[in-house]
Amino acid sequence: MPRPSRWMIRLSFVYLLTGIIMGALMLIHKAYFIHSVIWILLPIHIEVTIFGWIIQLTLGTAYYMLPRFLEGPPRGNSSLAYVMIVSLNLGIIFVIADSLLSFALPFDLAGRIFELTAVGLFVVLHWNRIVTYRTN
Amino acid sequence: MPFVSRTFVKAGMIYFVLSLIAGVLLEIDAVSLPALMPLFWHMLMVGWITQIIMGVSIWMFPGRNREEGFANQKWSWLTLILLNLGLVLRLVAEPAVGYSEAHIWSVLLVASAVLQVAGGLTYFIEMWPRIMSKKQQRKKRKRRRES
Repeated sequence: MPRPSRWMIRLSFVYLLTGIIMGALMLIHKAYFIHSVIWILLPIHIEVTIFGWIIQLTLGTAYYMLPRFLEGPPRGNSSLAYVMIVSLNLGIIFVIADSLLSFALPFDLAGRIFELTAVGLFVVLHWNRIVTYRTN
Repeated sequence: MPFVSRTFVKAGMIYFVLSLIAGVLLEIDAVSLPALMPLFWHMLMVGWITQIIMGVSIWMFPGRNREEGFANQKWSWLTLILLNLGLVLRLVAEPAVGYSEAHIWSVLLVASAVLQVAGGLTYFIEMWPRIMSKKQQRKKRKRRRES
């Protein structure tokens, strides 16, 4: 398994645990009142589980499993893959930060732009790997 | 495909159907069930998507123990049991908490939360050591053969 995939998959496991714990806190709050501020976790729970867990795991697994190039680096430019990882995770952190704190700057917009950059890089890295090696 | 993965995927398919039934009910104004919206989303995202990811990753990621049985795949089986028990308890207890003041529903809802966290933890324990490079995989295989 290549290093970028290992990073993305491990990060996704951390996000999964974080997301489940947040969800559990909100569920317990429905049974026994903890604090009204607990609902601030809802948008973070959604961001962490969808982008951090599901999307990050699928991107990391696709980078590992899709057909490799027969010539040159087997998965293309690995530096771009690292930029994709940093960009996706910065995006998640920016969106979460915007939910938690009120900034003068639009952190959520910056976060979504980072996430868009990561997805764009994912497409660039994988477009030519969607092939078949069969000749007939 | 190991038995535990097949069970994950089949359980996932059941939740997929149930979630879409909930989705249909949400669109019918005459039907008003408590907590239907969070149940719809969690049957879809935890019951279906997360379970199919877990089942397939347990099967496809490197380092799987190919011996069948609970003892050989205990973390995977525990994940399946804890997650599904937690989710089923939620399906029952979350609407009931809205309807009834009986203390038992609150206790079951807390149990559901704890079970799902435990399920996430056992998945983490199963999968974390399996995320390795080819070199690490070869070393692990060599160690297994030697022992």
